[in-house]
Amino acid sequence: MTNYLLNRLLRGVLSIILVVAIVMILVYSLVDRNYIFLQDSSYTKTISNERVAYKYRCWEDYDYLDYVPYTDFLAERAKAGEITTEERLKLANLGYTAADDEEDVAAAVRLFTETYEAKGYTVVRLDADMTNGNLKRGGAQQLFAHRDKPLIQRLWKYFTHLITIDNVHYAKEDIENRGISFTLFDPVYGGKKLSPAVIGNGTKHKYLLYFDNKFPFVHQQLFNVNLGLSYSVNTGVDVFDTMTQSQGSIVKSEITYPSGYVAEVSRDLHSATYAANTYSSGDPFYVTRFVDDYTLLEPVKGSLSKTGFSFVIGILSVAMAYLLGIPLGLAMAQHKEKLVDKLGTLYIVFIIAVPSLAYIFMFRSIGKAVGLPHTFDVDSANRLMYILPIVSLALPSIGGLMKWTRRYMIDQMNSDYVKFARSGGLTDREIFSKHILKNAIIPIVHAIPGSILGALTGAIITESVYTVPGAGGMLVKAINFYDNGVIIGLTLFYATLSVLSLIIGDILMALIDPRISFTSKAR
Amino acid sequence: MQDKQIDLKELNMSDEELFSRYDNDSIESEKITAPRYSYWKSVFRVFFRKRINIFFIALLGLIIVFAYIYPAIIHYNPDVSPWKYVLDPESKHLSPGAAIAKYGFSIHWILGSGDQGQSTFDAVWYGSSISLSLALVCAGINMLIGVVLGAIWGFSKKMDVIMTEVYNIIGNVPYILLISVLVRVLEATFWTMVFALTVTGWLAIAYFIRTQVIIIRDREYNLASRCLGTSIFRIALKNILPFMVSVIVTLIATEIPSYISYEVFLSYIGIGLPQMTLGKMIEMTQPYMFVTEWGFEFWAPVVIASIIAVVLYVVGQNLGDASDPRTHM
Repeated sequence: MTNYLLNRLLRGVLSIILVVAIVMILVYSLVDRNYIFLQDSSYTKTISNERVAYKYRCWEDYDYLDYVPYTDFLAERAKAGEITTEERLKLANLGYTAADDEEDVAAAVRLFTETYEAKGYTVVRLDADMTNGNLKRGGAQQLFAHRDKPLIQRLWKYFTHLITIDNVHYAKEDIENRGISFTLFDPVYGGKKLSPAVIGNGTKHKYLLYFDNKFPFVHQQLFNVNLGLSYSVNTGVDVFDTMTQSQGSIVKSEITYPSGYVAEVSRDLHSATYAANTYSSGDPFYVTRFVDDYTLLEPVKGSLSKTGFSFVIGILSVAMAYLLGIPLGLAMAQHKEKLVDKLGTLYIVFIIAVPSLAYIFMFRSIGKAVGLPHTFDVDSANRLMYILPIVSLALPSIGGLMKWTRRYMIDQMNSDYVKFARSGGLTDREIFSKHILKNAIIPIVHAIPGSILGALTGAIITESVYTVPGAGGMLVKAINFYDNGVIIGLTLFYATLSVLSLIIGDILMALIDPRISFTSKAR
Repeated sequence: MQDKQIDLKELNMSDEELFSRYDNDSIESEKITAPRYSYWKSVFRVFFRKRINIFFIALLGLIIVFAYIYPAIIHYNPDVSPWKYVLDPESKHLSPGAAIAKYGFSIHWILGSGDQGQSTFDAVWYGSSISLSLALVCAGINMLIGVVLGAIWGFSKKMDVIMTEVYNIIGNVPYILLISVLVRVLEATFWTMVFALTVTGWLAIAYFIRTQVIIIRDREYNLASRCLGTSIFRIALKNILPFMVSVIVTLIATEIPSYISYEVFLSYIGIGLPQMTLGKMIEMTQPYMFVTEWGFEFWAPVVIASIIAVVLYVVGQNLGDASDPRTHM
């Protein structure tokens, strides 16, 4: 069993890597990279050579290629001590065209060209854009090298940076007493309350492990997941953080800063991350509040995260679907071709055939007529607003469960062991609950982990119709804004969930049905 | 029983009286006494035995007439007046009653008019013809590739290993992503959309068929057939395909409405066709849903899309039931 599971997990990981590779090919190679500028206002503002340089800068930001401007090359050489700062400034002075270059500049340009062409880059030189002997706006001459990132390199970089472990060498500056300490009394609570915490010095996060009153009560910041940076959906923030950050309006409370300064602000002291030269620069703002350079604090927001909303709605609708769908399916099977069965079939046909968008809208207008809130408000404490999204999401699952439960039950009813049990004198009721149900429920159980994990991914239509700030719309939004980082991060997340749910489903099935075994030995 | 037995000797009859000679007719003996059985005739006999099916077939005929013949008869062109009264502000967003009062009673105005003064009724059917064609073409291509490859997948063990892995991998690539990328790479036209929807769409069908084939493949009668030297091709065609007809028809019944639903969904999230399909109409008129006088513009395409999908589904399902030979008795 262990061997089998390891094998399954390994194959799962392999297929996840392949899926990410396929998606990378799709988004980086197939889609025209000029599309990313369609909604970019800075792009339309720039013209001439400036625009070309801006395009390459953006493409580097979006991870399409490596882009090295000539000035960066000079700066690097200056840093390495090969040229002095004065020389650097002089060498940066490119001529309008290559023929106008001064001798030493031309030599530096040659060196730049040779160095980068040897590395497989393409060197581009744009001559100055002139009108009537004057430089046009944005027409300054440009020199840069670029190279498309190969897929393997991108994949390797992505998967090696997927999980980073915070370490004491994160801070580059000189810090005294680098190390990790353990305390039983968390200083955030004044150092008197018993609350264990692991505190790092020199790490990115100050609190590597701590307890608080929010679910799941114990939090760690030692291992950080990086699914990929977002560029347009939530600029500069990792996809994983976008999905898990709390939303809504800020919540102010009285907090005591490490220095003892008390203020009514919306800051979470546990989220402190390292920011160089803040406290140590002697800035009075930081000196009055902090005792070290861990000064970046996240605001406290009152509402759930995107995934949080999706999961709450999703899990409740899954619960509702199973609680209603299975008993209804059983009733349909028990009263086959009676009224219950016919009404149930009508419902199933309706749910399968009618476009989901249509019945969600129908349901929404019914909900509105009844007086339930039909739009979602992040800051509202009104629990009623959850009802319509939950029920809308449960409608198709109920139909599906009814259909399959009925199918499995009826298939089992015709099998030989049922005839045998009946000839043995068991009542229909006994056969139904003790024999048929146990066999029919197995394939249903197989799908449970999938529906629970699937709740994390959110629902595209339901969330958009009811304006729920969930995770469902993220992929669509990322596709529409050409946010490649988010697309790949979400794909990885979805693929992992689907591989996991299949494996867990198989394990669960083997647990409840002793006849199913994954090892050939047990047969 | 015993007391009913008759002793022939008690009847006092001669053998000639008791028995008459019946000559052996070699031609007569070749005839089979079972009633004539034609598969497709039986399918339709069973199908039309249910009265409700006649109603649904009539509805289906009506839908086809309105979607394909009606726009051709009225020479519908969405960009030209009289289908558009852009310049006349009085003609826009009319309820059915107001439109009939304005133009007099005609079939064009029974669903009112839209945001450009166009007839909602005409627009809905023109949109339906595109959506319906998309669904039919996609379902056709997917079924063809899916059934053929699924059968091979089910028969070949080597292919099974490879295809199962391919299925696991492709199944995890988000479908919306694939479609939107393809639509963007190749421009959104009808045939691009067909390509995007079918490029991986057949995989699920092939997988389903593969499972069915594996179940039937190793049954005893096929084993016997193989032992007698029947080629695999013949086994697939003569022994297994007839078993699958009802499964395939049932699958088509779920496929076609699902593509109508999918077209609506894709238009809703903004990666649909540029033409005014049913999905696009629903997406565009969505804000009018709760405007009392304009609500009709939204509900008309929703209801028509639902009716088309339900009719296709029910007809397909019942045809699937009827094509199962076990129901022919």
